[in-house]
Amino acid sequence: MKKTVDVSLPIGPVHPVFKEPCRIKCETSGEYVINAELELGYVKKGIERIMVGRPWQEVMFLAERVCGICSVIHNYVCIEGMERINGVAVPDRAAYLRLVVNELDRIQSHLLANYSYCYTIEHETLAMYLLNLRETAMDALEYITGARVTCSYIIPGGVRFDLSPEKEQKLRTMIDHIDSELTRFVRMFEGGSLIALRSKDVGTFSREEAIESHAVGPTARASNLDNDCRLFHPTYQKLGFESVLLDEGDNYARIMLRFLEVFQSTQLIRSALDSMEKGTIRGGGEIGGGFAEWAGEAPRGELTYTIDTDEHGRVKKIGIRTPSIMNIEACVHYMIKGVHSSADVTSTYISSDPCIACNER
Amino acid sequence: MASSIIWYLREFIRGEWITKFFTVKTAPLVTPPHFRGFPTLTDRECTHCLACMMICPAPDAIEVLETDGVWKPVVYPGHCIRCGLCVEACPEDVLTAGELLSVQKEDQTSFESAFHLTIDPVLCSRCGNCAVACPINKEIDPYLGGTGTAFSDEVIMRITNGEMRIINPEKCTGCKTCEETCSNHAIRVARVVVGVQEGWK
Repeated sequence: MKKTVDVSLPIGPVHPVFKEPCRIKCETSGEYVINAELELGYVKKGIERIMVGRPWQEVMFLAERVCGICSVIHNYVCIEGMERINGVAVPDRAAYLRLVVNELDRIQSHLLANYSYCYTIEHETLAMYLLNLRETAMDALEYITGARVTCSYIIPGGVRFDLSPEKEQKLRTMIDHIDSELTRFVRMFEGGSLIALRSKDVGTFSREEAIESHAVGPTARASNLDNDCRLFHPTYQKLGFESVLLDEGDNYARIMLRFLEVFQSTQLIRSALDSMEKGTIRGGGEIGGGFAEWAGEAPRGELTYTIDTDEHGRVKKIGIRTPSIMNIEACVHYMIKGVHSSADVTSTYISSDPCIACNER
Repeated sequence: MASSIIWYLREFIRGEWITKFFTVKTAPLVTPPHFRGFPTLTDRECTHCLACMMICPAPDAIEVLETDGVWKPVVYPGHCIRCGLCVEACPEDVLTAGELLSVQKEDQTSFESAFHLTIDPVLCSRCGNCAVACPINKEIDPYLGGTGTAFSDEVIMRITNGEMRIINPEKCTGCKTCEETCSNHAIRVARVVVGVQEGWK
Protein backbone atom coordinates (compact mmCIF):
# COMPACT_ATOMS: atom_id res chain seq x y z
CA MET A 1 0.00 0.00 0.00
CA LYS A 2 2.98 2.31 0.57
CA LYS A 3 3.32 4.73 -2.28
CA THR A 4 6.09 7.09 -3.21
CA VAL A 5 5.31 10.77 -3.39
CA ASP A 6 7.36 13.73 -4.43
CA VAL A 7 6.69 15.83 -1.33
CA SER A 8 5.90 19.42 -2.06
CA LEU A 9 3.50 20.09 0.82
CA PRO A 10 4.33 18.44 4.15
CA ILE A 11 1.67 18.89 6.86
CA GLY A 12 2.46 18.03 10.46
CA PRO A 13 3.56 16.47 12.77
CA VAL A 14 2.88 19.77 14.52
CA HIS A 15 -0.04 21.66 13.05
CA PRO A 16 -2.74 23.82 14.66
CA VAL A 17 -5.63 21.56 13.59
CA PHE A 18 -3.97 18.27 14.46
CA LYS A 19 -4.88 16.99 17.89
CA GLU A 20 -2.24 14.30 17.64
CA PRO A 21 0.99 14.10 15.70
CA CYS A 22 1.28 12.55 12.25
CA ARG A 23 2.67 13.77 8.95
CA ILE A 24 0.79 14.02 5.68
CA LYS A 25 3.08 14.36 2.70
CA CYS A 26 1.32 15.76 -0.36
CA GLU A 27 2.47 15.96 -3.93
CA THR A 28 0.82 19.04 -5.35
CA SER A 29 0.47 20.96 -8.56
CA GLY A 30 -0.30 24.49 -7.47
CA GLU A 31 -2.66 23.67 -4.63
CA TYR A 32 -4.27 20.68 -6.35
CA VAL A 33 -3.24 17.49 -4.55
CA ILE A 34 -2.07 14.81 -6.98
CA ASN A 35 -0.96 12.24 -4.47
CA ALA A 36 -0.52 11.89 -0.72
CA GLU A 37 1.25 9.67 1.76
CA LEU A 38 1.13 9.32 5.51
CA GLU A 39 3.85 8.99 8.08
CA LEU A 40 2.97 7.58 11.50
CA GLY A 41 4.94 6.58 14.57
CA TYR A 42 5.30 9.68 16.69
CA VAL A 43 3.47 8.48 19.84
CA LYS A 44 4.09 4.75 20.12
CA LYS A 45 3.34 3.59 23.68
CA GLY A 46 3.70 -0.22 23.56
CA ILE A 47 0.61 -0.90 25.69
CA GLU A 48 0.11 -4.43 24.33
CA ARG A 49 3.52 -5.43 25.62
CA ILE A 50 2.80 -3.93 29.07
CA MET A 51 -0.43 -5.96 29.24
CA VAL A 52 1.38 -9.28 28.95
CA GLY A 53 1.46 -11.27 32.20
CA ARG A 54 -1.25 -9.24 33.88
CA PRO A 55 -4.75 -10.27 35.03
CA TRP A 56 -7.96 -8.54 33.96
CA GLN A 57 -8.03 -6.07 36.83
CA GLU A 58 -4.81 -4.54 35.49
CA VAL A 59 -5.36 -5.07 31.76
CA MET A 60 -8.72 -3.33 31.90
CA PHE A 61 -7.16 -0.05 33.04
CA LEU A 62 -4.39 -0.30 30.47
CA ALA A 63 -6.95 -0.95 27.73
CA GLU A 64 -8.82 2.18 28.75
CA ARG A 65 -5.66 4.19 28.42
CA VAL A 66 -5.08 3.17 24.80
CA CYS A 67 -7.27 6.07 23.76
CA GLY A 68 -8.65 8.97 25.75
CA ILE A 69 -11.62 9.70 23.50
CA CYS A 70 -13.06 6.20 23.14
CA SER A 71 -11.93 4.71 26.46
CA VAL A 72 -15.23 2.97 27.26
CA ILE A 73 -15.29 0.86 24.11
CA HIS A 74 -11.75 -0.40 24.77
CA ASN A 75 -12.85 -1.48 28.24
CA TYR A 76 -16.05 -2.99 26.77
CA VAL A 77 -14.42 -5.03 24.00
CA CYS A 78 -11.46 -6.14 26.15
CA ILE A 79 -13.67 -7.43 28.95
CA GLU A 80 -16.27 -9.00 26.62
CA GLY A 81 -13.44 -10.75 24.81
CA MET A 82 -12.14 -12.15 28.10
CA GLU A 83 -15.65 -13.23 29.07
CA ARG A 84 -15.87 -15.20 25.83
CA ILE A 85 -12.91 -17.38 26.93
CA ASN A 86 -14.82 -18.91 29.84
CA GLY A 87 -18.36 -18.15 28.79
CA VAL A 88 -19.01 -15.80 31.72
CA ALA A 89 -22.67 -14.83 31.67
CA VAL A 90 -23.73 -11.22 32.19
CA PRO A 91 -27.01 -10.26 33.91
CA ASP A 92 -29.52 -8.46 31.65
CA ARG A 93 -29.40 -5.24 33.63
CA ALA A 94 -25.62 -5.11 33.44
CA ALA A 95 -25.72 -5.69 29.66
CA TYR A 96 -28.07 -2.73 29.22
CA LEU A 97 -25.99 -0.53 31.54
CA ARG A 98 -22.90 -1.34 29.45
CA LEU A 99 -24.79 -0.26 26.36
CA VAL A 100 -25.91 3.00 27.99
CA VAL A 101 -22.37 3.96 28.98
CA ASN A 102 -20.97 2.92 25.60
CA GLU A 103 -23.52 5.04 23.75
CA LEU A 104 -22.83 8.05 25.98
CA ASP A 105 -19.17 7.64 25.11
CA ARG A 106 -20.07 7.48 21.42
CA ILE A 107 -22.08 10.69 21.76
CA GLN A 108 -19.18 12.60 23.28
CA SER A 109 -16.70 11.19 20.76
CA HIS A 110 -18.88 12.09 17.76
CA LEU A 111 -19.51 15.58 19.13
CA LEU A 112 -15.77 16.07 19.61
CA ALA A 113 -15.08 14.86 16.06
CA ASN A 114 -17.64 17.27 14.65
CA TYR A 115 -16.27 20.06 16.83
CA SER A 116 -12.83 19.43 15.32
CA TYR A 117 -14.22 19.57 11.81
CA CYS A 118 -16.14 22.82 12.42
CA TYR A 119 -13.02 24.27 14.02
CA THR A 120 -10.91 23.23 11.04
CA ILE A 121 -13.23 24.96 8.57
CA GLU A 122 -13.09 27.99 10.89
CA HIS A 123 -16.71 27.86 11.97
CA GLU A 124 -15.85 28.53 15.60
CA THR A 125 -19.37 29.40 16.75
CA LEU A 126 -20.75 25.99 15.88
CA ALA A 127 -17.56 24.33 17.08
CA MET A 128 -17.84 25.87 20.54
CA TYR A 129 -21.57 25.11 20.72
CA LEU A 130 -20.80 21.45 20.03
CA LEU A 131 -17.98 21.37 22.55
CA ASN A 132 -20.27 22.90 25.13
CA LEU A 133 -22.90 20.26 24.41
CA ARG A 134 -20.27 17.55 24.73
CA GLU A 135 -19.86 18.58 28.37
CA THR A 136 -23.41 17.37 29.03
CA ALA A 137 -22.47 13.91 27.75
CA MET A 138 -19.27 13.96 29.81
CA ASP A 139 -21.22 14.99 32.91
CA ALA A 140 -23.66 12.14 32.31
CA LEU A 141 -20.74 9.72 32.09
CA GLU A 142 -19.29 11.08 35.32
CA TYR A 143 -22.69 10.90 36.94
CA ILE A 144 -23.01 7.16 36.24
CA THR A 145 -19.42 5.97 36.52
CA GLY A 146 -17.66 8.52 38.73
CA ALA A 147 -15.12 9.63 36.13
CA ARG A 148 -15.31 11.56 32.88
CA VAL A 149 -12.83 9.70 30.71
CA THR A 150 -11.33 6.65 32.40
CA CYS A 151 -14.67 5.32 33.57
CA SER A 152 -13.48 1.76 34.39
CA TYR A 153 -17.11 0.74 34.52
CA ILE A 154 -17.19 -2.68 32.87
CA ILE A 155 -15.78 -5.72 34.69
CA PRO A 156 -16.08 -9.45 33.91
CA GLY A 157 -19.59 -10.61 34.75
CA GLY A 158 -21.19 -7.21 34.95
CA VAL A 159 -20.61 -3.55 35.75
CA ARG A 160 -19.35 -1.70 38.79
CA PHE A 161 -22.21 0.58 39.78
CA ASP A 162 -25.96 0.37 39.55
CA LEU A 163 -28.18 3.12 38.19
CA SER A 164 -30.65 4.24 40.86
CA PRO A 165 -34.09 5.54 39.80
CA GLU A 166 -33.11 9.15 40.65
CA LYS A 167 -29.96 8.87 38.58
CA GLU A 168 -31.96 7.34 35.73
CA GLN A 169 -34.36 10.29 35.82
CA LYS A 170 -31.50 12.77 35.70
CA LEU A 171 -29.86 10.85 32.86
CA ARG A 172 -33.09 11.07 30.87
CA THR A 173 -33.21 14.85 31.26
CA MET A 174 -29.57 15.08 30.15
CA ILE A 175 -30.32 12.99 27.06
CA ASP A 176 -33.36 15.16 26.26
CA HIS A 177 -31.16 18.24 26.58
CA ILE A 178 -28.61 16.81 24.14
CA ASP A 179 -31.39 15.96 21.67
CA SER A 180 -33.08 19.36 21.74
CA GLU A 181 -29.86 21.38 21.56
CA LEU A 182 -28.33 19.25 18.84
CA THR A 183 -31.43 19.58 16.63
CA ARG A 184 -30.71 23.30 16.48
CA PHE A 185 -27.01 22.83 15.71
CA VAL A 186 -27.71 20.30 12.97
CA ARG A 187 -30.10 22.77 11.31
CA MET A 188 -27.32 25.35 11.52
CA PHE A 189 -24.91 22.91 9.86
CA GLU A 190 -27.40 21.90 7.17
CA GLY A 191 -28.52 25.42 6.35
CA GLY A 192 -25.12 27.12 6.38
CA SER A 193 -24.23 27.87 2.78
CA LEU A 194 -20.61 28.66 3.66
CA ILE A 195 -20.32 25.33 5.46
CA ALA A 196 -21.69 23.67 2.34
CA LEU A 197 -19.05 25.41 0.19
CA ARG A 198 -16.29 23.93 2.33
CA SER A 199 -17.87 20.50 2.78
CA LYS A 200 -20.06 19.36 -0.09
CA ASP A 201 -18.22 17.46 -2.85
CA VAL A 202 -14.92 17.85 -1.01
CA GLY A 203 -12.96 14.69 -0.22
CA THR A 204 -15.33 12.36 -2.03
CA PHE A 205 -15.07 8.69 -1.24
CA SER A 206 -17.14 6.22 -3.26
CA ARG A 207 -18.52 2.88 -2.08
CA GLU A 208 -16.07 0.98 -4.30
CA GLU A 209 -13.15 2.89 -2.83
CA ALA A 210 -14.46 2.20 0.66
CA ILE A 211 -14.53 -1.54 -0.05
CA GLU A 212 -11.10 -1.43 -1.66
CA SER A 213 -9.49 0.45 1.24
CA HIS A 214 -11.32 -1.56 3.98
CA ALA A 215 -12.72 1.62 5.51
CA VAL A 216 -14.77 1.11 8.68
CA GLY A 217 -17.14 3.01 10.92
CA PRO A 218 -18.78 6.35 10.04
CA THR A 219 -16.27 6.89 7.22
CA ALA A 220 -17.53 3.76 5.45
CA ARG A 221 -21.16 4.28 6.39
CA ALA A 222 -21.15 7.76 4.86
CA SER A 223 -20.25 6.00 1.58
CA ASN A 224 -23.16 3.57 1.98
CA LEU A 225 -21.04 0.65 3.14
CA ASP A 226 -22.82 -1.04 6.02
CA ASN A 227 -20.30 -2.66 8.36
CA ASP A 228 -21.54 -1.70 11.81
CA CYS A 229 -20.41 -4.24 14.42
CA ARG A 230 -23.34 -3.33 16.62
CA LEU A 231 -25.53 -5.31 14.19
CA PHE A 232 -23.94 -8.50 15.55
CA HIS A 233 -23.94 -7.60 19.24
CA PRO A 234 -26.61 -9.47 21.25
CA THR A 235 -27.67 -6.46 23.38
CA TYR A 236 -28.01 -4.18 20.37
CA GLN A 237 -29.92 -6.89 18.49
CA LYS A 238 -32.41 -7.02 21.36
CA LEU A 239 -33.11 -3.31 20.88
CA GLY A 240 -33.58 -3.78 17.11
CA PHE A 241 -30.51 -1.81 16.06
CA GLU A 242 -30.22 -0.65 12.47
CA SER A 243 -27.25 1.31 11.21
CA VAL A 244 -27.48 4.79 9.71
CA LEU A 245 -26.29 5.07 6.11
CA LEU A 246 -25.64 7.98 3.76
CA ASP A 247 -24.75 7.97 0.06
CA GLU A 248 -22.68 11.02 -0.75
CA GLY A 249 -19.32 10.07 0.76
CA ASP A 250 -18.02 13.64 1.04
CA ASN A 251 -16.99 15.62 4.11
CA TYR A 252 -20.55 16.87 4.58
CA ALA A 253 -21.95 13.32 4.62
CA ARG A 254 -19.39 12.13 7.15
CA ILE A 255 -20.17 14.95 9.57
CA MET A 256 -23.92 14.61 9.00
CA LEU A 257 -23.70 10.87 9.64
CA ARG A 258 -22.10 11.50 13.02
CA PHE A 259 -24.88 13.92 13.92
CA LEU A 260 -27.46 11.33 12.92
CA GLU A 261 -25.66 8.68 14.96
CA VAL A 262 -25.81 10.89 18.04
CA PHE A 263 -29.61 11.03 17.66
CA GLN A 264 -29.62 7.28 17.19
CA SER A 265 -27.50 6.84 20.33
CA THR A 266 -29.84 8.94 22.46
CA GLN A 267 -32.71 6.83 21.15
CA LEU A 268 -30.81 3.64 22.01
CA ILE A 269 -30.13 4.89 25.54
CA ARG A 270 -33.81 5.68 26.00
CA SER A 271 -34.95 2.27 24.82
CA ALA A 272 -32.28 0.58 26.94
CA LEU A 273 -33.48 2.47 30.02
CA ASP A 274 -37.06 1.50 29.16
CA SER A 275 -36.32 -2.20 28.75
CA MET A 276 -34.07 -2.41 31.82
CA GLU A 277 -35.57 -4.36 34.71
CA LYS A 278 -34.48 -4.39 38.30
CA GLY A 279 -31.95 -7.07 39.08
CA THR A 280 -28.34 -7.89 39.84
CA ILE A 281 -25.54 -6.07 38.08
CA ARG A 282 -22.77 -8.60 38.71
CA GLY A 283 -22.91 -12.29 37.92
CA GLY A 284 -19.46 -13.26 39.16
CA GLY A 285 -17.34 -15.53 36.99
CA GLU A 286 -13.63 -16.16 36.79
CA ILE A 287 -11.52 -15.58 33.69
CA GLY A 288 -9.79 -18.83 32.75
CA GLY A 289 -7.26 -19.88 30.17
CA GLY A 290 -7.93 -19.88 26.46
CA PHE A 291 -8.17 -17.80 23.35
CA ALA A 292 -10.79 -15.36 22.19
CA GLU A 293 -11.29 -12.79 19.49
CA TRP A 294 -14.02 -10.21 19.91
CA ALA A 295 -14.94 -7.09 17.99
CA GLY A 296 -17.06 -4.11 18.87
CA GLU A 297 -18.09 -0.90 17.20
CA ALA A 298 -15.95 1.96 18.48
CA PRO A 299 -16.99 5.53 17.58
CA ARG A 300 -14.53 5.28 14.69
CA GLY A 301 -15.33 1.76 13.50
CA GLU A 302 -14.53 -1.85 14.18
CA LEU A 303 -12.26 -2.49 17.17
CA THR A 304 -10.90 -6.02 17.59
CA TYR A 305 -9.19 -7.61 20.57
CA THR A 306 -7.37 -10.91 20.20
CA ILE A 307 -6.67 -12.29 23.66
CA ASP A 308 -4.76 -15.37 24.77
CA THR A 309 -4.71 -16.12 28.52
CA ASP A 310 -3.07 -18.69 30.80
CA GLU A 311 -4.97 -20.89 33.29
CA HIS A 312 -5.30 -18.13 35.92
CA GLY A 313 -6.57 -15.52 33.47
CA ARG A 314 -3.30 -13.66 32.96
CA VAL A 315 -2.71 -12.35 29.46
CA LYS A 316 -0.19 -14.39 27.47
CA LYS A 317 -0.60 -12.54 24.23
CA ILE A 318 -2.86 -9.71 23.22
CA GLY A 319 -3.46 -7.93 19.93
CA ILE A 320 -5.51 -4.81 19.43
CA ARG A 321 -6.69 -3.72 16.00
CA THR A 322 -8.06 -0.22 16.02
CA PRO A 323 -10.34 1.31 13.37
CA SER A 324 -8.35 4.46 12.64
CA ILE A 325 -5.55 2.70 10.81
CA MET A 326 -7.89 1.75 7.96
CA ASN A 327 -9.66 5.08 8.00
CA ILE A 328 -6.47 7.14 7.87
CA GLU A 329 -5.16 5.06 4.97
CA ALA A 330 -8.48 5.46 3.18
CA CYS A 331 -8.42 9.18 3.87
CA VAL A 332 -4.90 9.80 2.65
CA HIS A 333 -4.92 7.51 -0.38
CA TYR A 334 -8.45 8.15 -1.62
CA MET A 335 -10.10 11.25 -0.13
CA ILE A 336 -7.23 13.72 -0.06
CA LYS A 337 -6.13 12.79 -3.56
CA GLY A 338 -7.82 15.31 -5.83
CA VAL A 339 -8.81 18.03 -3.36
CA HIS A 340 -8.43 21.49 -4.83
CA SER A 341 -6.79 23.45 -2.03
CA SER A 342 -4.37 22.84 0.82
CA ALA A 343 -6.98 24.06 3.31
CA ASP A 344 -9.20 21.17 2.24
CA VAL A 345 -6.44 18.67 2.98
CA THR A 346 -6.68 19.29 6.73
CA SER A 347 -10.46 19.49 6.79
CA THR A 348 -10.78 16.24 4.83
CA TYR A 349 -8.31 14.57 7.12
CA ILE A 350 -10.23 15.71 10.22
CA SER A 351 -13.56 14.64 8.68
CA SER A 352 -12.40 11.01 8.72
CA ASP A 353 -11.97 11.37 12.51
CA PRO A 354 -8.44 9.99 12.86
CA CYS A 355 -7.23 8.83 16.26
CA ILE A 356 -3.46 8.48 16.34
CA ALA A 357 -3.35 7.40 20.00
CA CYS A 358 -5.48 4.33 19.15
CA ASN A 359 -3.40 3.64 16.07
CA GLU A 360 -0.04 3.57 17.74
CA ARG A 361 -1.21 2.32 21.17
CA MET B 1 -24.29 33.64 1.81
CA ALA B 2 -27.50 35.53 2.58
CA SER B 3 -29.04 32.45 4.15
CA SER B 4 -26.01 32.14 6.43
CA ILE B 5 -26.41 35.74 7.64
CA ILE B 6 -30.11 35.18 8.22
CA TRP B 7 -29.28 32.06 10.22
CA TYR B 8 -26.87 33.98 12.41
CA LEU B 9 -29.36 36.76 12.99
CA ARG B 10 -32.03 34.24 13.91
CA GLU B 11 -29.62 32.48 16.24
CA PHE B 12 -28.65 35.69 18.00
CA ILE B 13 -32.13 37.17 18.51
CA ARG B 14 -33.40 34.12 20.34
CA GLY B 15 -34.56 35.15 23.80
CA GLU B 16 -32.54 32.32 25.32
CA TRP B 17 -29.35 33.51 23.61
CA ILE B 18 -29.81 37.14 24.68
CA THR B 19 -30.53 36.30 28.33
CA LYS B 20 -27.58 33.92 28.36
CA PHE B 21 -25.32 36.57 26.84
CA PHE B 22 -26.06 39.10 29.58
CA THR B 23 -26.42 36.81 32.58
CA VAL B 24 -23.91 34.07 31.88
CA LYS B 25 -21.64 33.08 34.74
CA THR B 26 -18.90 30.51 34.98
CA ALA B 27 -20.11 27.69 37.13
CA PRO B 28 -18.20 27.45 40.43
CA LEU B 29 -15.47 24.85 40.44
CA VAL B 30 -16.69 22.24 42.88
CA THR B 31 -16.01 18.55 42.95
CA PRO B 32 -19.33 16.74 42.53
CA PRO B 33 -20.13 14.17 45.23
CA HIS B 34 -20.26 11.32 42.70
CA PHE B 35 -16.69 11.97 41.53
CA ARG B 36 -14.35 9.09 42.27
CA GLY B 37 -11.31 10.87 43.72
CA PHE B 38 -8.25 9.65 45.59
CA PRO B 39 -9.20 7.23 48.38
CA THR B 40 -9.35 8.83 51.82
CA LEU B 41 -9.57 7.22 55.22
CA THR B 42 -12.78 6.78 57.18
CA ASP B 43 -12.62 6.37 60.96
CA ARG B 44 -12.92 2.56 60.74
CA GLU B 45 -10.05 0.46 62.00
CA CYS B 46 -7.70 -1.21 59.53
CA THR B 47 -7.11 -4.91 60.20
CA HIS B 48 -3.97 -5.18 58.06
CA CYS B 49 -5.52 -7.74 55.69
CA LEU B 50 -3.83 -6.05 52.67
CA ALA B 51 -6.86 -6.59 50.39
CA CYS B 52 -6.44 -3.03 49.07
CA MET B 53 -2.78 -3.57 48.18
CA MET B 54 -3.47 -6.89 46.50
CA ILE B 55 -6.14 -5.56 44.13
CA CYS B 56 -4.44 -2.26 43.24
CA PRO B 57 -3.66 -2.18 39.48
CA ALA B 58 -1.15 0.68 39.74
CA PRO B 59 2.38 -0.04 40.89
CA ASP B 60 3.19 1.28 44.41
CA ALA B 61 0.01 3.33 44.69
CA ILE B 62 -1.14 2.07 48.08
CA GLU B 63 0.70 0.71 51.11
CA VAL B 64 -0.44 -0.39 54.55
CA LEU B 65 1.96 1.07 57.12
CA GLU B 66 2.25 0.87 60.87
CA THR B 67 2.61 4.06 62.88
CA ASP B 68 2.55 3.88 66.70
CA GLY B 69 1.17 0.37 66.59
CA VAL B 70 -1.76 1.28 64.32
CA TRP B 71 -2.00 -0.06 60.78
CA LYS B 72 -3.24 2.39 58.17
CA PRO B 73 -3.38 2.39 54.37
CA VAL B 74 -1.42 5.21 52.75
CA VAL B 75 -2.27 6.33 49.20
CA TYR B 76 0.39 7.92 47.00
CA PRO B 77 -1.44 10.40 44.73
CA GLY B 78 1.32 10.40 42.12
CA HIS B 79 0.83 6.68 41.49
CA CYS B 80 -2.89 6.27 42.19
CA ILE B 81 -5.12 6.09 39.09
CA ARG B 82 -8.33 6.65 41.09
CA CYS B 83 -9.95 3.42 39.97
CA GLY B 84 -11.57 2.83 43.36
CA LEU B 85 -10.88 -0.92 43.42
CA CYS B 86 -9.27 -0.67 46.89
CA VAL B 87 -12.41 0.94 48.27
CA GLU B 88 -14.50 -1.90 46.91
CA ALA B 89 -12.08 -4.61 48.01
CA CYS B 90 -11.72 -3.45 51.64
CA PRO B 91 -13.86 -5.69 53.87
CA GLU B 92 -13.77 -3.19 56.76
CA ASP B 93 -14.76 -0.01 54.85
CA VAL B 94 -11.57 1.75 55.88
CA LEU B 95 -11.32 3.68 52.61
CA THR B 96 -13.76 5.87 50.74
CA ALA B 97 -13.69 7.84 47.48
CA GLY B 98 -16.55 10.20 46.79
CA GLU B 99 -19.92 8.49 46.88
CA LEU B 100 -18.32 5.17 46.04
CA LEU B 101 -18.54 3.57 49.48
CA SER B 102 -22.22 4.38 50.02
CA VAL B 103 -23.11 3.31 46.45
CA GLN B 104 -21.28 0.04 46.97
CA LYS B 105 -23.17 -0.60 50.22
CA GLU B 106 -26.45 0.09 48.45
CA ASP B 107 -25.65 -2.29 45.58
CA GLN B 108 -24.02 -4.82 47.95
CA THR B 109 -21.14 -5.31 45.56
CA SER B 110 -17.60 -6.36 46.37
CA PHE B 111 -14.59 -8.23 45.03
CA GLU B 112 -13.43 -11.70 45.99
CA SER B 113 -9.74 -12.52 45.61
CA ALA B 114 -7.90 -15.82 45.36
CA PHE B 115 -4.17 -16.36 44.93
CA HIS B 116 -2.44 -19.14 43.06
CA LEU B 117 1.25 -20.00 43.17
CA THR B 118 2.91 -21.63 40.19
CA ILE B 119 6.52 -22.77 39.87
CA ASP B 120 8.17 -23.47 36.56
CA PRO B 121 10.46 -26.48 37.35
CA VAL B 122 12.61 -25.75 34.31
CA LEU B 123 13.44 -22.22 35.43
CA CYS B 124 13.64 -22.96 39.18
CA SER B 125 17.20 -23.32 40.48
CA ARG B 126 16.06 -24.60 43.93
CA CYS B 127 17.84 -21.74 45.70
CA GLY B 128 15.00 -21.37 48.22
CA ASN B 129 15.07 -17.57 48.17
CA CYS B 130 11.29 -17.43 47.80
CA ALA B 131 10.68 -19.60 50.88
CA VAL B 132 13.05 -17.46 52.96
CA ALA B 133 11.66 -14.14 51.74
CA CYS B 134 7.98 -15.06 52.16
CA PRO B 135 6.57 -12.99 55.07
CA ILE B 136 3.97 -15.65 55.92
CA ASN B 137 6.68 -18.32 56.10
CA LYS B 138 8.66 -16.09 58.46
CA GLU B 139 5.68 -15.73 60.76
CA ILE B 140 4.95 -19.46 60.80
CA ASP B 141 8.52 -20.62 61.21
CA PRO B 142 10.90 -17.87 62.44
CA TYR B 143 13.74 -20.35 62.17
CA LEU B 144 13.25 -20.44 58.35
CA GLY B 145 13.72 -16.70 58.04
CA GLY B 146 16.94 -16.82 60.04
CA THR B 147 18.66 -19.90 58.73
CA GLY B 148 16.94 -20.91 55.52
CA THR B 149 16.07 -24.35 56.86
CA ALA B 150 12.47 -25.17 57.71
CA PHE B 151 11.29 -27.99 59.91
CA SER B 152 7.63 -27.00 59.97
CA ASP B 153 5.02 -28.51 57.65
CA GLU B 154 2.85 -25.43 58.11
CA VAL B 155 4.82 -23.14 55.76
CA ILE B 156 3.55 -22.21 52.30
CA MET B 157 6.52 -23.56 50.40
CA ARG B 158 9.94 -25.00 51.13
CA ILE B 159 12.62 -27.16 49.55
CA THR B 160 12.01 -30.84 50.17
CA ASN B 161 14.30 -33.52 48.73
CA GLY B 162 15.92 -31.03 46.40
CA GLU B 163 12.61 -29.89 44.91
CA MET B 164 10.72 -26.66 45.55
CA ARG B 165 7.34 -27.75 46.88
CA ILE B 166 4.23 -25.74 47.62
CA ILE B 167 2.73 -27.28 50.75
CA ASN B 168 0.00 -24.88 51.87
CA PRO B 169 -1.00 -22.69 48.88
CA GLU B 170 -4.19 -21.49 50.61
CA LYS B 171 -2.14 -19.42 53.09
CA CYS B 172 -0.76 -17.15 50.37
CA THR B 173 -1.87 -13.51 50.66
CA GLY B 174 -0.72 -12.58 47.16
CA CYS B 175 2.00 -10.12 48.18
CA LYS B 176 4.36 -11.24 45.36
CA THR B 177 7.48 -10.97 47.57
CA CYS B 178 8.58 -14.42 46.32
CA GLU B 179 8.08 -13.32 42.70
CA GLU B 180 10.23 -10.24 43.25
CA THR B 181 12.97 -12.24 45.03
CA CYS B 182 13.20 -14.99 42.41
CA SER B 183 16.17 -14.40 40.17
CA ASN B 184 14.86 -16.68 37.41
CA HIS B 185 11.19 -15.59 37.26
CA ALA B 186 10.33 -19.19 38.09
CA ILE B 187 7.75 -18.61 40.81
CA ARG B 188 4.69 -16.57 39.91
CA VAL B 189 1.66 -15.44 41.85
CA ALA B 190 -1.70 -15.11 40.10
CA ARG B 191 -4.18 -12.74 41.67
CA VAL B 192 -7.60 -13.93 40.58
CA VAL B 193 -10.34 -11.39 41.28
CA VAL B 194 -14.07 -11.90 40.84
CA GLY B 195 -16.61 -9.10 41.09
CA VAL B 196 -19.56 -10.31 43.16
CA GLN B 197 -22.89 -9.05 44.36
CA GLU B 198 -25.01 -10.26 47.27
CA GLY B 199 -27.49 -12.85 46.04
CA TRP B 200 -25.77 -13.51 42.72
CA LYS B 201 -25.55 -17.27 43.16
